[in-house]
Amino acid sequence: MAALIHRAEYAGYDFGPEHPFAPARLDMLLDLLQSLGHGVSPIAAPAATRAEILAIHDEAYVSAVEALDQGRPAPDAERFGLGTPDNPIFPDMDLATRWLVGGTLHGARMLMAGQEQRVLQLGGGLHHAQKDHAAGFCLYNDLAVAIQALLEHGWRVAYLDIDLHHGDGVQDLFYGNDRVLTLSIHESGHYLYPGSGHIQDLGNGPARGLSVNIPLEPFTEAGDYLEAFDAVVPRALAWFAPDVLVVQAGADAHFADPLGDLALTTQAFQSLYERIFSLADAHAQGRVLLTLGGGYEAQVVARVWAILCLTLLGLPLPEHLPAVWMDRWRHLLGPGIPGELHDPASALPDLPGREARSRRNRDVVTRLLDSLHRLWL
Amino acid sequence: MLVNEIMRRPVTVIEAATPLGEAFRQLQARGFRHLPVVDRGRLVGIVTDRDLRLATSSLSPAPRTALEPVSLVMTSPVLTADPLDPVEDAARIMRDRKIGCLPVLDGSDLVGILTGMDLLDALILLTGVTKPSSRLEVALADRPGELARLTAFLAARHVNIHSILTHPGADARVRTVLRVGSSQTRPLAEALRTDGFEVLWPAQKPWQP
Repeated sequence: MAALIHRAEYAGYDFGPEHPFAPARLDMLLDLLQSLGHGVSPIAAPAATRAEILAIHDEAYVSAVEALDQGRPAPDAERFGLGTPDNPIFPDMDLATRWLVGGTLHGARMLMAGQEQRVLQLGGGLHHAQKDHAAGFCLYNDLAVAIQALLEHGWRVAYLDIDLHHGDGVQDLFYGNDRVLTLSIHESGHYLYPGSGHIQDLGNGPARGLSVNIPLEPFTEAGDYLEAFDAVVPRALAWFAPDVLVVQAGADAHFADPLGDLALTTQAFQSLYERIFSLADAHAQGRVLLTLGGGYEAQVVARVWAILCLTLLGLPLPEHLPAVWMDRWRHLLGPGIPGELHDPASALPDLPGREARSRRNRDVVTRLLDSLHRLWL
Repeated sequence: MLVNEIMRRPVTVIEAATPLGEAFRQLQARGFRHLPVVDRGRLVGIVTDRDLRLATSSLSPAPRTALEPVSLVMTSPVLTADPLDPVEDAARIMRDRKIGCLPVLDGSDLVGILTGMDLLDALILLTGVTKPSSRLEVALADRPGELARLTAFLAARHVNIHSILTHPGADARVRTVLRVGSSQTRPLAEALRTDGFEVLWPAQKPWQP
């Protein structure tokens, strides 16, 4: 009752050789799964149509993407967040993004049809994209398009964002909707992009209490992270009782990620995935739709997302990485990569300031729960 | 940034002869803390909710009644600002005199009012945290051209700057905090260090050599 979604066209979502959101990361992951001998065969979904994109995005913005993608000049590109270092313009970017949105939307439809209980879209997770502009490597918001379809099916949707960065696009798009609960656990916006996702941002009007943010200190490690997760997420899901859980499973909270400052290990990600599946079983009738997301160190995301895929499919986790895979990707793995799936036990030294950091993280969770208890009565 | 860009308008005022009880009801109903007081169209004073509560308190040696006029408890004359004053000057006056608002006069016309809340809005706007952005903090030497070197570095990489704040740091260096429209500040920080800049944030990860 679990399925993967992917197709070769996802590789077309490519901002160029200097950009961190590199398609090779996905190729490495798929090749790792194949090399482990599991013969996974992902489902190829159709591209989202223009009309499906317009369920979330403004026409003026979509038209600007279409114009730029065909090389036509759009003098106000930067107003739409395009042509920036984060979102360079690339050929056929409209269709490339619609392939990703289509995959996530297809996953939602499989759940609605009762075909599957657990679906993982191997791509997408473009959580920063806003109604009228691109942001943070994200052009169209595949998650929001899928959530909108689930809402139209009559379901109440819980969204969980474990990407390093705050899931601002999805939060903002449903900020006043009392049938969507958004939960985001991320490095604090006091430092990191996009600068939002504070504990005081709780939702608007009837949706007050339905936007939940857990911002963590830079250099936060697995212990604190999971403690904060456990203090907030199960309670929120039990209280909201959604029909489905949508998860943005970015892997950039790993300690080796080049863009962030959180310090999760592969072992922490495994615990996180196990928690997510059992929470979906307990509070969302077992229905969960996951996408990938951020994660910019190739050797890390291949291992972390392989753990996600294997956990989803109920397959055993191997101890060692296949030698053929290591050889094939040597140029991206870099030297000195240990041959195991998990990080070595000694990956992180004792970090300075750990006690003060833990205290601040606990204070943030206490303050957040103080506000939520009042709203969740 | 000038006072007329962030002041509120139109201004709600009360007549000097208004009874204290009526003034209090108006403050409550509108959620205000300050009301400029006018007499024949001219600004003659200002009254706050605190003035009203203190004047009518049973703890006061000679409590006023709800029927007495606000002219008896208002502060007069009033400190005012000009619409073309820089915001930082208005902030300094309010801080020095420990007051919560400044009516804004253009000649003798009351054209707006500036409160502490408006200054907080201005601070948020000035720090640039209203747009998707990341924090970059650099310690610059206190000499001509250093800030230019930093902004030229960012311009060359097409990184948009949403805000720049500077304040004097320890050791005579200028702490410069930028909000930049890029999620890639960690690689940016590495490149800045290579170019000889002292980057305070993003800091080097404690577990990386």
